[in-house]
Amino acid sequence: MSCKFQNVGKLFPGNIWAVKDFSLEIKGGEFVSFLGPSGCGKTTTLRMIAGLEENTHGVIQIDNDVVSDPKNKKFLPPEKRHVGMMFQSYAVWPHMNVFKNVAYPLKFQNLSKSKIKEDVTAVLKTVELDGLESRKPSELSGGQQQRVALARGLVMKPRILLLDEPLSNLDAKLREKMRRDIRSIQQQLKLTLVYVTHDQKEAFQMSDRVVVMNKGQIEQIGTPSQIQTEPKTPFVKEFVEVGR
Amino acid sequence: MRILIYLIAWGLVAAFFVAPLGHLVTLPNFDQYMEILKHENTIKAIKNTFWVSLSVGLVCVAIGVPLAWLLTRTNIPSKDSLRSWFCLPYAIPPYVGAIGWIILANPTSGLLNTVFGLNLNIYSFPGLVWIESSFLFTFVLLTTLTALDKMDSSLEEAARLSGANGLQVFRDISLPLLKPAIFNGFVLSFLATAASFGVPAMIGGPARIYLMTTQIYTFQRMGTTQGIQMATAVSVLLMITTLILLFSAQTTIGKQKTYLVSGKSVRPSLIHLKNSKVPLLIILSLLLFVIFALPLLGVLISALSTIQGSWSFSNLGLGNFVRVLFETEETARAIGNSLFLGFGAALICTSISFFIAYFPVRTTWRGKNMLGIFASVPFSTPGTVLALALILTFSQGYFGAGPSLYNTLGLILVAYVVKYMSLSIKTVQDGYSLIHPSLEEAARISGASWWATLQTIYLPLLKSSLIASAFFIFMPVMGELTMTILLTGPGLETVGTLIFSLQEYSDVGGGGAAVLSVLVVGIVFSLNFALKKISKGRYGL
Repeated sequence: MSCKFQNVGKLFPGNIWAVKDFSLEIKGGEFVSFLGPSGCGKTTTLRMIAGLEENTHGVIQIDNDVVSDPKNKKFLPPEKRHVGMMFQSYAVWPHMNVFKNVAYPLKFQNLSKSKIKEDVTAVLKTVELDGLESRKPSELSGGQQQRVALARGLVMKPRILLLDEPLSNLDAKLREKMRRDIRSIQQQLKLTLVYVTHDQKEAFQMSDRVVVMNKGQIEQIGTPSQIQTEPKTPFVKEFVEVGR
Repeated sequence: MRILIYLIAWGLVAAFFVAPLGHLVTLPNFDQYMEILKHENTIKAIKNTFWVSLSVGLVCVAIGVPLAWLLTRTNIPSKDSLRSWFCLPYAIPPYVGAIGWIILANPTSGLLNTVFGLNLNIYSFPGLVWIESSFLFTFVLLTTLTALDKMDSSLEEAARLSGANGLQVFRDISLPLLKPAIFNGFVLSFLATAASFGVPAMIGGPARIYLMTTQIYTFQRMGTTQGIQMATAVSVLLMITTLILLFSAQTTIGKQKTYLVSGKSVRPSLIHLKNSKVPLLIILSLLLFVIFALPLLGVLISALSTIQGSWSFSNLGLGNFVRVLFETEETARAIGNSLFLGFGAALICTSISFFIAYFPVRTTWRGKNMLGIFASVPFSTPGTVLALALILTFSQGYFGAGPSLYNTLGLILVAYVVKYMSLSIKTVQDGYSLIHPSLEEAARISGASWWATLQTIYLPLLKSSLIASAFFIFMPVMGELTMTILLTGPGLETVGTLIFSLQEYSDVGGGGAAVLSVLVVGIVFSLNFALKKISKGRYGL
């Protein structure tokens, strides 16, 4: 499914732009990364898709619905957007076991118990967590908690899946495997996916397109090879060079 | 040097904080416990204490938890100022509320009854529960607010993205995760009710609802050996129940889990109250009015009324102020005593904390944490019990050695220091833990002794913590009543005891207690405001 930004901005009191003049169209089934140093506005932009942050300017559309348009006082709350998200801190609920964590989004979809069970079982298999349904999060490793968070985002068949630096708390080896798994699940399910990271390697390895951001604004949009070989601004050029 | 100070600290804590309470426990024998348990009034007092405290605890949770959630997780307007207004009752002595409500809602001449034709009787079980709750809900509010502030908000955001609306997120995610904090707040307000004296004495007396604290006071005032014995037995019972309850609460349900600490600090996304925004704001304003403004207004009207219980503008005047402040000889003495005790306790507690708080943060010595825990036992002990323990320990010199402190300001000062020291230690300890150990190490390498390091590195860096600590001691001392009422005597009036005696019997025309209450509230407000200004919002409500 698609997502469209038209001149989106977020202005804080004191005339500080967290995000400014952000325009982008994400196509259905596309893997897009927002790449940039910390404080560049990438997480804020991601959270605006989810409705966790409100833009003060511009229009955001998911599919053909306008989800946020401050000019016309339109704002769809997060629970009505049908968007999945994986948080940096995983946000796995410590008081629920794995099954309940993953089944939670289905509670709001009027499904039968057997259908819920079926869906949860299937998605746990996809993320290789089958058999751990009754474990509590405290009995899981960091990598496993991560997969619970991913399963919870997938189970609702979201219009878009958002990932906010999901791998930054994992060790290098696990990170590599998780990268490949996320990419293959995305391609298998033809998911529209937005990925926020400050790690170029991650962005270039996984994405169809990369959006390089700096100080709340887009520096360049392009495929990983375009960005690496034809940097359009001095910032991107330096950023890519330092990354090597 | 360090070790010497450490040992002195242990000696002080053992002699002043632990020994008196330990001594108290050993006094009554088994027969005396049996006797009080057969005593009809005592059993009734125990039952009353339980039911009143339980009701107050539940009302506090019912008010505090939704309030904390609204003030942190929704887009309700003027959140910050609402937050400080709702927290302010924490700093006001609850008996001020009792005085206000007696003026508003006593059955014969309460203003709400005579002017608005209501039929309220504050001298009742619901009246007692309401007044206690309208102050002690701040315990639940503060513990819940702290937990919500610390909670990783992505836990709640994940639920919203799953399709849960604001209330469903609260029910499914926030409430289960807040359980330890809410439970701790409940236990604190329960125990604070059981330990309270002013409100039960002013409201429970006329309503004939006696609690354990008022019962201990009555027994002690009998002045006989038997009276003291009974008071001691009830005290030990109250103290042990309190400490056991507190300990078991903190080690079971109330145990804070580490998952509440957030990884990445993002401002939590707020829940949009659309149509319910205005109604909720009205409800909150009404609640604030009834909890806070109404009783204070009652106090103010009473202070200004020439004739109590009648309402007209011609009835207003400054006569009560003139009479109490300038024509009552105890007043100047009481204010003088309270100021002396306030400054004295603040100075002593803060200076001792400066040393004691060093050890748990900066050393790995054996028992370093126990020092703070022992020093906090009197803080958790009901004031009535602590006062009795100190009387029994110091009445013939310290366990028989030296001069008697009974009936001196000295004993009241000791009581304040022992009771509130824990507040001071906690504040200064937080200050120490914010200072990186390398700063001390660098000073030592430069050649400074430990003592010089304290003076040249820690003292200046801890300045704001030390000032805050002094405020935290001074504020409760200015209105203290629960302990002072047992320790006071002729010439030893404090603001708290003078308010109590004016309210209970000596001020025939009425209004005198209200005048002094206005004074106490004024002092507390200005101190809180000053502290907030000085510390740039880090301390204060």
